[in-house]
Amino acid sequence: MFDVNEFILKKARELGFGDVVVLGYETNRRQVRFANNEITVAKNWHERKVELFVELEKRVAGTSITELSEENIERTLKTLLSNMKGMAPKEDYYGIAEGPFEYRDIPETFDKSIVELDEPNEYVERAINAALEEGAKRVAGVLYTDHNRLYLTTSNGVEAFEEGTGIEISVRAFIGDLESGHGTNSVRILKKFDPESAGRKAGEIAKLAQNPEQGPEGKFDVIFDPLAFANLLSYMSFMTSAYAAEAGFSFLVNKLGQKVANEIVTIKDVGNMPNGYGSRKFDDEGVPTRETTIIENGTFKTFLLNTSMAKKYGTETTANAGLMMPHAWNIVLEPGDYTKEELFSEVKKGIYITNVWYTRFQNYVAGDFSTIPRDGIFLVENGELRPIRNIRVSDNFQRILEGIKALGKESYHIHWWEVRTPVSTPYVLVEDVGITRATK
Amino acid sequence: MHELVEFAVEKALELGAGYAEARFEEKNGTSLAMKNGNPEGLSIISEKGIGVRVLVDGGMGFASTNVLTKESVAEAVKKAVKLAKAASRVRNESIRFSDEDFHRVSYKVKMKKDFRDVSPEEKMELLRKIEEEVKGTGVNVPMRYLGYSDQLWKKIFVNSEGAYVKSKIPRVSVMYNLVVFENGQMEQAPFVQRAFSGGLELIEKDEPWSWAVKDVQALKKLIYEGQKPPEGKVDLVISPEVAGIAVHESVGHPYEADRIFGREAAQAGESFVKPDMLGERIGSDAVTVIEDPTIPNSWGFYLYDDEGVKARPRYLIKDGIITEFLTNREYAAKLGQRSNAAARAINYNREPIVRMANTYLAPGDYSFEELIEDIKLGVYMVSFNEWNIDDRRYQQRYIGREAYLIENGEIKHPVRRPILEITTRALWSSVDAVGKEVEMFPGTCGKGEPGQGVPVWMGGAHARLRDIPLRRP
Repeated sequence: MFDVNEFILKKARELGFGDVVVLGYETNRRQVRFANNEITVAKNWHERKVELFVELEKRVAGTSITELSEENIERTLKTLLSNMKGMAPKEDYYGIAEGPFEYRDIPETFDKSIVELDEPNEYVERAINAALEEGAKRVAGVLYTDHNRLYLTTSNGVEAFEEGTGIEISVRAFIGDLESGHGTNSVRILKKFDPESAGRKAGEIAKLAQNPEQGPEGKFDVIFDPLAFANLLSYMSFMTSAYAAEAGFSFLVNKLGQKVANEIVTIKDVGNMPNGYGSRKFDDEGVPTRETTIIENGTFKTFLLNTSMAKKYGTETTANAGLMMPHAWNIVLEPGDYTKEELFSEVKKGIYITNVWYTRFQNYVAGDFSTIPRDGIFLVENGELRPIRNIRVSDNFQRILEGIKALGKESYHIHWWEVRTPVSTPYVLVEDVGITRATK
Repeated sequence: MHELVEFAVEKALELGAGYAEARFEEKNGTSLAMKNGNPEGLSIISEKGIGVRVLVDGGMGFASTNVLTKESVAEAVKKAVKLAKAASRVRNESIRFSDEDFHRVSYKVKMKKDFRDVSPEEKMELLRKIEEEVKGTGVNVPMRYLGYSDQLWKKIFVNSEGAYVKSKIPRVSVMYNLVVFENGQMEQAPFVQRAFSGGLELIEKDEPWSWAVKDVQALKKLIYEGQKPPEGKVDLVISPEVAGIAVHESVGHPYEADRIFGREAAQAGESFVKPDMLGERIGSDAVTVIEDPTIPNSWGFYLYDDEGVKARPRYLIKDGIITEFLTNREYAAKLGQRSNAAARAINYNREPIVRMANTYLAPGDYSFEELIEDIKLGVYMVSFNEWNIDDRRYQQRYIGREAYLIENGEIKHPVRRPILEITTRALWSSVDAVGKEVEMFPGTCGKGEPGQGVPVWMGGAHARLRDIPLRRP
């Protein structure tokens, strides 16, 4: 596909564009959705497209081109040019990275056996059966296989290629109307894929969650399952983008260098994580991805940046372009030193939340939010678990980070419908979490 | 293009599909953003492709391609058929579709001011106007994120049972996030959107800058004059905007038949509603909730759904009684009914699933003054920020952004963040009176995997809720 990229770059130069980024994709994605222990639909997507970013005297524009004929490419570039000419410049635009760069392959991000996998239904059946064996009555979920090729060419000397694969499953198991559990597994190479573990976890939680009582309200020590805490960290990942901060969507505004979390908290973005679902060799302007510490021992160190935003703030890119909007690849909350058992025994009277969804903000800049536990919720009292239901976490993001009291030693890589940016997190114990419920 | 769509359906039948449909979609448009006064750049949207859905031996398969050649479409059809066959082996029961009357029709929404004829800089002027008007209020708004978007959606739908539906729907929208900082305090109006199906004239007439001005002035007033809301049992008057989110979340969603039957269980969730609850009381006599895709120029507008079924208004609740679910053909068949045309897909590469369009609380016969005149102590919630609802659509929460105290029948000072946290049954049973005027607000309804954010309107009339346990932050 590089021939297409080069043709676009050549034509864009002829028309007088300055910075040009051409990112070609060839993607094959398969999906199997299931519910009530049977497949509801199976899908296949094959897509070939180019994402194009152009700059003309500080005016910036983007589009994607799906019909890759020379005629359509020229027409698209001319349309962009004529549309941009009368526009006001983006005064805070400072260009794209100067290439070329050298790239290293990231271990465990490509597996031919996923490309050659003819039929993934057996993995679905294995996940369903694992959940049923644990006592579930109904099992629902989704399985994906991915095969992507990326071709990047920029006007600043970058030509980069990567090929990646992935397979993942998300499983939700039900016993009655109110008893459910959820498990996920997302990997990049087939031999690490463990659909049974997702099914088993979903089934186990559903079984434990039987006959729940109405939950309490007030302030409680809460153990967040990795699935639940990944949801919060995935929302936070957006807020670590400098773009989100400027646009008024981040509680980290004006907090560089300040303490925003307990000192046991270190949060990173790792673009080159082996076997990470969001890993990529290079960002959208060709900078090799890396590990960036966002919060170190509780102190907020940096927003995620592309080259232009980094120059605006007099610093270096963090290799998170997104040309308009820098974004995280894989968020990592560094684990601590508690075993799961030790973490639970820390809690004399608290709540264990296995999953949350529907996280929404009253105020993004203040960080006030609420989110709803879904699936098993448990009162934890002297090591005993008692199922409860119908509660809501109502708190503040920074306060949650400041209230982190203990971290498990094992990390889990989470990616599903509600956790769009992949997150690696251990079990997390947070003190004094606000819990509310409907009283009518 | 329709030859290629028809070819896909014929090819699927030839390969053994019992049912086949193909949908061509083309979307063209522009989007613009402005961040703190800086134009953030222009995005040209131009995409098209074909999606094919088939039933084979009772299993369902879907495939799409954006390479619009016969070979590529034939390849997609082959994949869909193969996937459906393999899926049929992991099913207990065959998927069946309801019988429907199909038509050969073509319809479009006209634009008085065609956005294709307007330059991006002129569209950017709409955002600049918001900037200027907001600045003109003298309120300190240090973070301002503004967006404009237009798209022309063209579709051709064909199925193996004789449907042929061609449509052309233009959609325009403006959104903003405004952060007000005054007196050392900060309040925010995030993701506020104004949106329509039609031409640019609808945005111009709606004047999104007036909404923005109203928002920042209300937030400033809240900062300087806001007090704690009353706690405990009070009366609550909700605005059309708040009624809109409440009907969307706690009536529209739980009445989606695919959710009721568990198909969305792993993603968008389940429902407290069961098939045998048709005819059951869920709210007071004052509550009627209508779902209507056919409202002219509405954000959720369509006349035929993405299974080719003709749309009509649907009464989800009538006088407090559950009267109808939202269905597609698969779940209409399960219920022994006909589809009420709620199947929507956001693009050629997505399957049609059961969705809302425009959901609203139907008007009653109270004027606003009548609604508040006998309230001794209460709150009027005008707009909301934080909201969410559980998996089964039963336990919900809405927090007021702009809200006022009602005392002895009069609107008094603003109150900060009154919290309505309530069950669906309690919410709709507490309504004792509904206003006369209906107003609608746009939103993007999320569901499906991969996600399908579809344009919807939600709204209704003002409603009065008696004896509500209101909370404070």
